[in-house]
Amino acid sequence: MKYLERRVIHGLLLLIGVSILCFALSAAAPGNFFDEMKLNPQISPSTVAGLRARYGFDQPLVWRYGHWVESVLRGEWGYSFAYNCPVRSLLLVRARNTLILTGLATLLAWLIAVPLGVWTANRRGRWDDRLSMASTSLLLSVPELVIALVLLYWAVRIHTLPVGGMASVDFGGLGVQAKLFDLALHLVVPVTTLVLASLPLLVRHIRASMIEVLQAPFVQAARAHGIGGARLLFRYALPAAANPLSSLLGLSVGALLSGSLLVEVITGWPGLGPLLLDAALARDIYVVVGAVMASTLFMIFGGILADILLVAVDPRVRLGKV
Amino acid sequence: MRKKQKIVAALMLLVALHLAILLAGFIAPYNPATQNRDFPFVPPTRFHFADARGHFHLRPFIYQWTVRPEGFNEYEEARGREYPVQFFVRGPEYTIAGLVRSDVHLFGVEGPARIFLAGSDGFGRDQFSRIMYGGQISLAAGLLATGISLFLGLLVGCISGFYGSWIDESAMRLVELFLVLPWLYLLLAVRSFLPLHISPTQTFFLLVAVIGTIGWARPARLVRGIVLSAKGRKYVTASRGFGATDSYILRRHVLPHTYGVLLTQAALLVPQYIVAEVTLSFLGLGVSEPVSSWGNLLANLQQYNVLASYWWMFAPALALVIISLGYLKVANAIHERLQSDSI
Amino acid sequence: MHRWGCFATLLLACGHACFASSAPQPPQHGEDLLVTDNQIGRYGGTLVLAQRSEPKTLNPVTAADAPSREVIGRLTADLIHINRWTQNTEPALAKAWSVSNDGRVFTVKLRHGLRFSDGQPFDADDVVFSFQVYLDENVHSPQRDLLVVGGKPIKVQKIDQYSVRFTLAQPYAAAERIFDSLAMMPRHLLERPYKAGQFAQALTLNTPPAEIAGMGPFRVKQYIPGQRIVLERNPFYWKADRSKNRLPYLDELVFLFVGNEDAQAIRFQAGETDIISRLSAENYALLSKDVATRGTDFFDLGPSLEYDFLVFNLNDLRSKNLDSIAAKQAWFQAVKFRQAVSSAIDRDSIVKLVYTGHGAALWGNVSPSNKLWTDQMLPHTPYSLDRARELLKSEGFSWRSDGQLIDRQGVAVEFSVITSTSNAQRMKMATLIQDDLGKLGMNVHVVPLEFRALLDRVFQTYDYEASIMALGGGDADPNPEMNVWLSNGGTHLWRLGEARPATDWEALIDQLMQKQMVQLKYKERKHLYDQAQEIIAANVPFVFLATPNILVGARKNLGNFKPAILDPNTLWNVEQLYFIPGNGARPGEKP
Repeated sequence: MKYLERRVIHGLLLLIGVSILCFALSAAAPGNFFDEMKLNPQISPSTVAGLRARYGFDQPLVWRYGHWVESVLRGEWGYSFAYNCPVRSLLLVRARNTLILTGLATLLAWLIAVPLGVWTANRRGRWDDRLSMASTSLLLSVPELVIALVLLYWAVRIHTLPVGGMASVDFGGLGVQAKLFDLALHLVVPVTTLVLASLPLLVRHIRASMIEVLQAPFVQAARAHGIGGARLLFRYALPAAANPLSSLLGLSVGALLSGSLLVEVITGWPGLGPLLLDAALARDIYVVVGAVMASTLFMIFGGILADILLVAVDPRVRLGKV
Repeated sequence: MRKKQKIVAALMLLVALHLAILLAGFIAPYNPATQNRDFPFVPPTRFHFADARGHFHLRPFIYQWTVRPEGFNEYEEARGREYPVQFFVRGPEYTIAGLVRSDVHLFGVEGPARIFLAGSDGFGRDQFSRIMYGGQISLAAGLLATGISLFLGLLVGCISGFYGSWIDESAMRLVELFLVLPWLYLLLAVRSFLPLHISPTQTFFLLVAVIGTIGWARPARLVRGIVLSAKGRKYVTASRGFGATDSYILRRHVLPHTYGVLLTQAALLVPQYIVAEVTLSFLGLGVSEPVSSWGNLLANLQQYNVLASYWWMFAPALALVIISLGYLKVANAIHERLQSDSI
Repeated sequence: MHRWGCFATLLLACGHACFASSAPQPPQHGEDLLVTDNQIGRYGGTLVLAQRSEPKTLNPVTAADAPSREVIGRLTADLIHINRWTQNTEPALAKAWSVSNDGRVFTVKLRHGLRFSDGQPFDADDVVFSFQVYLDENVHSPQRDLLVVGGKPIKVQKIDQYSVRFTLAQPYAAAERIFDSLAMMPRHLLERPYKAGQFAQALTLNTPPAEIAGMGPFRVKQYIPGQRIVLERNPFYWKADRSKNRLPYLDELVFLFVGNEDAQAIRFQAGETDIISRLSAENYALLSKDVATRGTDFFDLGPSLEYDFLVFNLNDLRSKNLDSIAAKQAWFQAVKFRQAVSSAIDRDSIVKLVYTGHGAALWGNVSPSNKLWTDQMLPHTPYSLDRARELLKSEGFSWRSDGQLIDRQGVAVEFSVITSTSNAQRMKMATLIQDDLGKLGMNVHVVPLEFRALLDRVFQTYDYEASIMALGGGDADPNPEMNVWLSNGGTHLWRLGEARPATDWEALIDQLMQKQMVQLKYKERKHLYDQAQEIIAANVPFVFLATPNILVGARKNLGNFKPAILDPNTLWNVEQLYFIPGNGARPGEKP
């Protein structure tokens, strides 16, 4: 219980730190939301100046931060210049969509990476290990966006998969089962991209940790006792490698969140990614701060989840001082 | 003994690859910035041994590409004249490592034909030459940035994992902060403070600094995890009981456990950092035209039409795969070696 | 076939009481419908298209981004409309209008008996209200500046229920064009939020569809954040075809939000969308490869009205701390230097490599597509390095032995060109220009910058040497361009914020532009504008480069599809579009 309390307080501190830095960074970046209007010959500079003043751009940064904190307390999370509405209403649905995508991708990536990493560690240097290493190198060498585009290109060619978005146009009229199926089809491309993009990191770390464990005396002892094969690998060796892997889990949540940004944009997934990118490039700063806060929250929960898993799996930690 | 050979073999491969890239000027047939505006997006040149009359030539030859009359950016071979591939030919001047000046190239053909080993880009520039030259900047930047990241990561991770308590807490919050911040803005701000035009060398150092400093968070977190579990082991407690100092325990019992993670990270980070330049160049922080780097070559692939129409534009990815496999092999070999030592 | 039956019963069952239904209402007595002369279509179907980014608002007064304006344009209507095909004005909600002899007073007669999409009547009160909102300084509408003529806002008076008088402070050429795209808004829904000072917050994407009404062919049905907005037929729309069928034919219009231009192309290629506008030349080439198998057609409509140009920073930098740039301005200020740059740029290469041949080289600001205003006599400086060298030589430049160009003081000519990373075409142009000018011995650095960062330098800090940008593309008329050419204009990019024209030729342009603005006769006006174009071309404040062609694609079975150069290129006649039966309906369309 005490542990949770501490995590929550740390989480809050982190959120405050993130918000302050976000504000400072956004102020340091050149340009502001209303700049684009200047390029339109039909809008006069005084109109642009009027808009700037109206949204408090001529006030000092501290004033704006205070204003923002106040609106967070009111539950509005700031105001979007582009959408002319409170940021919170923009975030909720999109955060859910991002969570669906990254949650599923994290789960799948681990479900694939753990057996693969454990297996290749056991088969070190053999053909299957080499194949896995070569393919992870390939995946590492291609930007995520290119992986997504290749998959989309393939989807265009095979005609059976949707090439982006989250739901078909006639989604509203479908039954529950058909809706789920439609959603699943739309998930194929973005989830596959994210899984492929995060696999190299996971597989290699799992493999490396496992190799270390497999050489530990207790594994040799277990082998001598006649425990072998999958039982040895997964029941005895894997838990011993849990500690470093749990840090990896916390990280992989964060990595996927940042990785999903561009993938969401190119696959038209209606998550935080397109919103954040649009807002960042348009300098709709409160939306950016809001979206970053949402990702931070995800990450804090990912970290807590990782710690809980660690406690559950690694007896040393359970008995220790945590 | 076998393990030693393995390391040597892997190292030899890497050295050979790097040497080739260092000698880019000699190996690449053309200047990477030269545009051939009549030949945008030509496919890789085909080598022939048998000519139209069915005669066999020991020395391979090529045909010049010509634009197919209808169709856009589509080419066919002009069968009229054969151009034998020549070795050690004179071509555009280049310098190697800023020391040796020369104009002799490993291979080439007589003009007006051009040999495009890996096709050409949208300006008709020879992609093979661009890959060779681009490797110089990208590899150096990737290696240096990896070094910085790992050094910082190891430092923070060790201290944080070993000493625990508030040091650990604050370090880990800092890690999280680094992982979630909108770096886009920081980089934009950095760009706005820089002079407009920065030379390729300056860009290079900038890339290294930016990527390296942002990237320390992940290795730090991983190292900390290892240190945490290592220091909890019995023999550490035991050696502490024997009066070992912190630094002794760190050096002797804790650090060796981190090598595995560090090596894995190293082999991962180099290609990742090279790819990261794609994003940086979007913000105006990448290597700018007409200088090539693997990052800006890969960025071409982010356009759907390029990816869907011109398969040879994947060539830089292939080069990166080969190099990163090389690093992986070396990392694996060293890792194995260390482990066998420690047992 | 089945649908017709259902449809008829539906009409019988509902009659007039059924306002919630989006089935087209039969024409009513006294309703002044506008009769179109398109091919008679067939009711039904859903048209799907993809937008690059999400619309931000449904508020016609505050909307500034392209996707929002594209959607709002389908929801609203204007009094006088520019026909995108003929590029001329035509009556819309106004049945007719008359202009006083001095060109200052417009009397507009409205159509009788029209209704908003919620069934409420439309009359002069709505018009007066709409203009009141547009002109209100506290609302900060981007369109307000358009409605300020001669320094004074246009005066709007209601004469009777169906006539309104507009009074301008001074005569204004083609004044009826400013009415285009000014949405007429429902007073009954919007007066309350306006009076409460909350107009900007009204009509957001989250506003319930029942509280949104407009005079456009469609009305909002559903908005799903991040995914799409679905519009349904406005059953009270004020246009009908020759057979008295009330338009639009389509049941629904769906805008998907897909992220970027490539995603747009992919969706169209996969058959998930029916229309694609503003394709890039590269994607056009890619997609038109499989025309045969996909049942789609692609159209090259010729050059757009946009112009790409290279601009040198001639701003007054005395108050700024930018000495190194100020030193280079001596070169940029020399007309011959700019002319030399213009001669050394191979525009054909730009058209060929950047626009894959689907574009046109430019030497002036008016595109060859702009039939009414392009100056046929404008000289086209040929691509000639020799001419460029001569110009430079006569300005005192010379060459070092290694080919580097140096000025009188022996300083090497070296400058940077900034360009936006979000525009792949302009990035490519920069690379070509770099190579071209390299042949003159100029050492040019290409500096890609993120778009806002670029705007900040061009408009705010003046910390740049040269930039590649694009302007234009709105209307064919010269007046929207005023602020580009007037020396005190907000978009007078090469030298911003001038109180007085810095050069004689700029003073001359000022005079010509001011004169053409108040000149009501086309011929005289054209003459004045031609002169302005020639002065601009001769003094090269912008080095004009090229203009992309407008490239669009659509499903083959789309009836009345008539893409145009003016924005919105494909949807301007959306009320007339229909699916030709038999030719394979959209997959996923409900029977």
